[in-house]
Amino acid sequence: MLLEAENLRIAYRDIEAVHGASFHVEEGELVSIIGANGAGKTTILNALMGMTPVKEGAVRYRGLDITGLPSHKRAGMGIRIVPEGARVFPQLTVLENIMTGLYRLRKVTDVPSRLSWIYELFPVLDERSRQLAQTLSGGEQQQLAIARALVSKPRLLLVDEVSMGLMPILVEKVFEVLRYLNREEDLTILLVEQNALASLAISNRAYVLETGVITLEGEAQTLKSDPGVRKAYLGA
Amino acid sequence: MDLFLEQLLNGIAIGFIYALITSGLALVYGILRILHVAHAAIYALGAYAGLGIYSITGNLFLALIVSMAACSLVGVAIEKFVYFPLLKYPPYVPLIGSIALLLGIEEVLRLVAGPYIHAFPAEIPVPGFHFGPITMSPVLVTVYLVTVIVLFGLWFLSTRTELGLAMRASSQDIQIAGSLGINTSRIISTTFIIGSSTAAVAGILVGIYFNQVYPTMGAVPAYKTLALIVVGGLGSVPGAVLASVLLGISETLLIGYANIPLPRDALAFIAMIAVLMWRPQGLLGRR
Repeated sequence: MLLEAENLRIAYRDIEAVHGASFHVEEGELVSIIGANGAGKTTILNALMGMTPVKEGAVRYRGLDITGLPSHKRAGMGIRIVPEGARVFPQLTVLENIMTGLYRLRKVTDVPSRLSWIYELFPVLDERSRQLAQTLSGGEQQQLAIARALVSKPRLLLVDEVSMGLMPILVEKVFEVLRYLNREEDLTILLVEQNALASLAISNRAYVLETGVITLEGEAQTLKSDPGVRKAYLGA
Repeated sequence: MDLFLEQLLNGIAIGFIYALITSGLALVYGILRILHVAHAAIYALGAYAGLGIYSITGNLFLALIVSMAACSLVGVAIEKFVYFPLLKYPPYVPLIGSIALLLGIEEVLRLVAGPYIHAFPAEIPVPGFHFGPITMSPVLVTVYLVTVIVLFGLWFLSTRTELGLAMRASSQDIQIAGSLGINTSRIISTTFIIGSSTAAVAGILVGIYFNQVYPTMGAVPAYKTLALIVVGGLGSVPGAVLASVLLGISETLLIGYANIPLPRDALAFIAMIAVLMWRPQGLLGRR
C-alpha cells in the first residue's frame, strides 16, 4: 500500500473539518475523493502534504508513519501536490516555477530531458517559459502547477480541484493528461474533485466525502451507477 | 561645480549605506511579513562588534567577518526565539516585540560600551581617487566599493542561484515552497543571516565614514529605513535599494543647496507620504 490514512481528524482554523476519515491508495492506482464544496477535501489533501496539521489519526506512506513530518520531508519522499487554485509563484517566470519543483534535485536529474517531457505535455508552457506566472490565464496556471509538481517524477501526486474555474474543454484536456500519466507513466494519483463525472471516468476507485465523513467507497464504475451518487453528484 | 559633484558623491554614499540596511529589512519583510525594526539595532551591534575587534586586532577585514558572524547569530536568534513564536498573532504583535528588541539591544550596548560616542579611526587599505575635478577620499572609495560588491552579491544570489530561487519562491508562497521540498525554516534563517550580515557591513561603514559609533546610532535608521522599504514597495529589494539611493542624494543636495528649515531626517517621511499618494504599492512594489 502506497498511502494509508487512518481515522484522520483535521481542524481548519479551529473548526474540525474532517471527522475521522480512513482511506488508502495502492501503488499505480488513480483514486478520487469526490464531494461537495466544503466537504473537507482540500483539508485532507493539505494534511497529506503536511501543510495542515492533523489532530488525530495517522498517515502512512510506504509503511512509514509520516503524520508529523514537515512538508519538505514528504516532498523529498516523492509526494507532490497540485494545490487548489494552482498557487503558482506569481513573480517567478514559468521556467523558474518549474525549476522550484527540482529544488536540490538538479544534480540527480536529467534536467533538459525532463523539461522537454514537460513541454511535450504542456506546449503552452514552452511558449511562455520566460513570462512571469502572474501573466498566465487560469488554465495555463493550472497546467504550470501540474508541471511544477510533475517535473521531479513523484511517486504520488495529490491533485486538488484541478477542474475548478476551467473551461470544459480544458477540464477534458487536464483529465486526459492525468489519465495518461497514471496509465502510461505509472504515476499514482489521488484526486480530489467536485466534478464527480470527470473524475469517476478516469479513476480506479473513489471515496465519497460528505461534511468531513466518508460515506461511500468502491470501484469507480460501481459508484457511477450508484443511485445515491448519481442523484447527489452526477445530476441524474 | 566641484562642490556639487562632491555633494552628489557624498549623497550617493549615504544612499548606498541606507541601501545596505534596507535590503536586509526588505528581505525579512518579504519572507515573514514582519517589520523588523530591530534590524537597526543589529546594524548598531555590527558597528560595535567591528570597532571592538578592530581595536584589539587592528585588522579591518577580520573585524568585518567577526561582526557579520556576530550579527548573523543575533539575527537568527531573534527570528527563532522572538518572531517565530509570535508569527501566529496579528502583525502588530511581532512589531511590538521588534521595537522592544531595538530598545533592549541599544541598552545592552550602552551598558557594555558606555553611553558615549566612540571614534572609529580605521586605517583603510584602499587608496583615494582623483580624476579631473573629482576627488574621493579613501573612506568614500571604500563605501562605494563595498556597497557595489555586496549589492552585486545579493543580486547574483537571488537571481542566479538555486538558493535565491528558493528564497524568492518562499517569499511568495511559503507553504507551497515547502511542499516542493524546500526547507523553509532553513530558508528563513538564511534570510536573517544574509540580512544581518549586510547590516553589519553597513554599521562598520557608517562608523568609519562618520568616525562615530554610539548606542543609539540605530534609532534614526530604524524608522527611516521603514519609510524606505514602504517607498520602495514592501518586500522589494530592488525597490528598497532605489529608494535608499534616491533619498541619500536628495537629503544631501537639499540640505546643501535648498537650505530648507526642515530637519534632514523628515525628508524620508515626506517622500513616503508623496510616493504613497502617487503609487500606493511603492516605487517597485507589486500591487
